[in-house]
Amino acid sequence: MILEINGLTKNFGGLTAVSGIDIKVNDGEVLGLIGPNGAGKSTFFNLITGVIPPTKGKIIFKGKDITGKRPHEIAELGIGRTFQLNPLFPNFTVLQNVISSFQIRPRSNWLDTFFNTPVYRKNEAYILEQSLEILNLVGLYKVKDELAKNQPHGYQKMLGVARALAIKPSLLLLDEPIAGMNPDEIDNTIEAIKRTSQRGVTIILVEHNMKILEICNRVVVINFGQKIVEGSPQEIKENPEVIRAYLGSGHDTKH
Amino acid sequence: MGSMIAARDSSSRRKNYTQIILYGILICFLLFIPLFFQSPYVLHLFILTLVYIIAAASMRFIMTSGQIPLAHAAFLGLGAYVSAVLSKHVGLSPWLSLFIAAFVAMGVGIFISFPFARLKAFYYAMVSLFFGVGLLQAIESLGKLTGGLAGITAIPTLFNTASKVPYYYCFLALTLVSLVILYRFEVSRIGWNLKAIDQSYLVSSSVGISEVKYRVLAVAIGCFFVGLAGGMYANYNVTLSPSSFDSSVTLWMIIYVTIGGMNNFSGPIIGTAVLFLIPQYFSGLKQYAPFISAAILFLVIFMFRNGLVCIPGLLMAFYKRKKSTSKSR
Ligand SMILES: Nc1ncnc2c1ncn2[C@@H]1O[C@H](COP(=O)(O)OP(=O)(O)OP(=O)(O)O)[C@@H](O)[C@H]1O
Ligand SMILES: [Mg+2]
Repeated sequence: MILEINGLTKNFGGLTAVSGIDIKVNDGEVLGLIGPNGAGKSTFFNLITGVIPPTKGKIIFKGKDITGKRPHEIAELGIGRTFQLNPLFPNFTVLQNVISSFQIRPRSNWLDTFFNTPVYRKNEAYILEQSLEILNLVGLYKVKDELAKNQPHGYQKMLGVARALAIKPSLLLLDEPIAGMNPDEIDNTIEAIKRTSQRGVTIILVEHNMKILEICNRVVVINFGQKIVEGSPQEIKENPEVIRAYLGSGHDTKH
Repeated sequence: MGSMIAARDSSSRRKNYTQIILYGILICFLLFIPLFFQSPYVLHLFILTLVYIIAAASMRFIMTSGQIPLAHAAFLGLGAYVSAVLSKHVGLSPWLSLFIAAFVAMGVGIFISFPFARLKAFYYAMVSLFFGVGLLQAIESLGKLTGGLAGITAIPTLFNTASKVPYYYCFLALTLVSLVILYRFEVSRIGWNLKAIDQSYLVSSSVGISEVKYRVLAVAIGCFFVGLAGGMYANYNVTLSPSSFDSSVTLWMIIYVTIGGMNNFSGPIIGTAVLFLIPQYFSGLKQYAPFISAAILFLVIFMFRNGLVCIPGLLMAFYKRKKSTSKSR
């Protein structure tokens, strides 16, 4: 088990966005997280990655309690993520976005960095090579030297995934990775996610689009901040409670 | 960063050579300035320009991380007064007090930026504004040490001579070293990380960049160099008064940086040279300096979005376009 979450709760003033969620994530699986708008999915990711502190509950990653750690510390531990609204480094090129995301493995100390020593240059050469490989994986190699802000929405989303891969995560959190993409880009991204998973990276992904359920080993449904059902994609599709809470309200693909 | 450079296309190599040659010519010119301009007043202006170049370049360094140092002139004053008091009242050598001043400014910068580095970059602007006002008040009220409003006089100088030439060469060397250090930081991964935080702290922290560490680092480095510039100023100028470091001076530095070009390392250097040195040099123009600056400001805002530094590039592009259209005819 790579991640264990116990009684995770977040109150925003009077609103309980996440309410006593327990989830166990197995090593190497692809876990789908679905639920209607406002169910608390993004908040759940923000809690795991330390963007916001939880009100209550525990987050245990690889047997270590990581509750209350800062986002950059979480990244160092090997949890990568993308964001729903997908912020980037807009004024960097696509390649620079990925290179800048290599902060941890390898990491040069300040002296090597300042004096541009052989150690630093070796690290940077390795980073360049790895970055190009990641861009190849997500299919952005051809636009590597263009500014990130000038890329179409789908490319920017894939760049978000590329960036998260740069930290060499063992756990990857994807917040609506295919929302707003065209069918080609969707196929491309799903392929990249599959290949990442085959490399042994555990993935939790949030999606409204039911297509993504195909690649999940297991799906958790949340509504009003609570876990309502958990099961295989097939079971979830047929579960009457899910149909009522989620599918019944229409396939909403906002954002 | 190394891979960033490698990632650029090969045409940049030729550009690098021309750049080295241009810098060579510029440095030769700077070395000969005391021969060209014998007037002590003109040399005085060049010396002050060097001080302000360090101040403006260090300000821009902090600004690359998205923080606005609204107390940068106050830090210049902090460095100046620390060096003045240490060399005059404590009896330290000005050469030592100068560097102590830089470290004191760095320490104070870290102290005021650390508690706010977790919050939005905007808070640093606010806290530094209040700090700047407070510091000047403190200097004014510590009359015994600092001379209060009237200022401090008879500060020991770096050289035992009335000539300004040794100061010019010494400050030129200090300025070049400071600029090289700031440049090394900027083009390394450290500089890229500062720019990354400015663009998105959410993304930066999600890939492992510690916002707090890098924001404080930017302030520490920036304050070190502005403190050094302050110390240089004090032990050159012999007298100091608080009005040389009030918020209007910070405002001028911001103008040097933005008009020169915020996105380019040379921006603050060119901005200071054009907006400080030229109006002072043509002393008939001195009282018009604000109007000239305003005119240049409008020009930059409407025509040269990236500051004065981008003008040569635009001219080159224009020239190339003309050449290609005349060829095609
Ligand atoms: N920082 C915040 N402050 C106050 N309320 C918040 C904050 N972030 C989220 N919320 C609220 O918490 C609830 C859950 O939001 P969240 O963004 O986690 O939902 P979601 O499941 O990701 O929805 P969507 O499918 O629309 O992305 C919503 O009602 C939202 O308005
Ligand atoms: Mg969401």
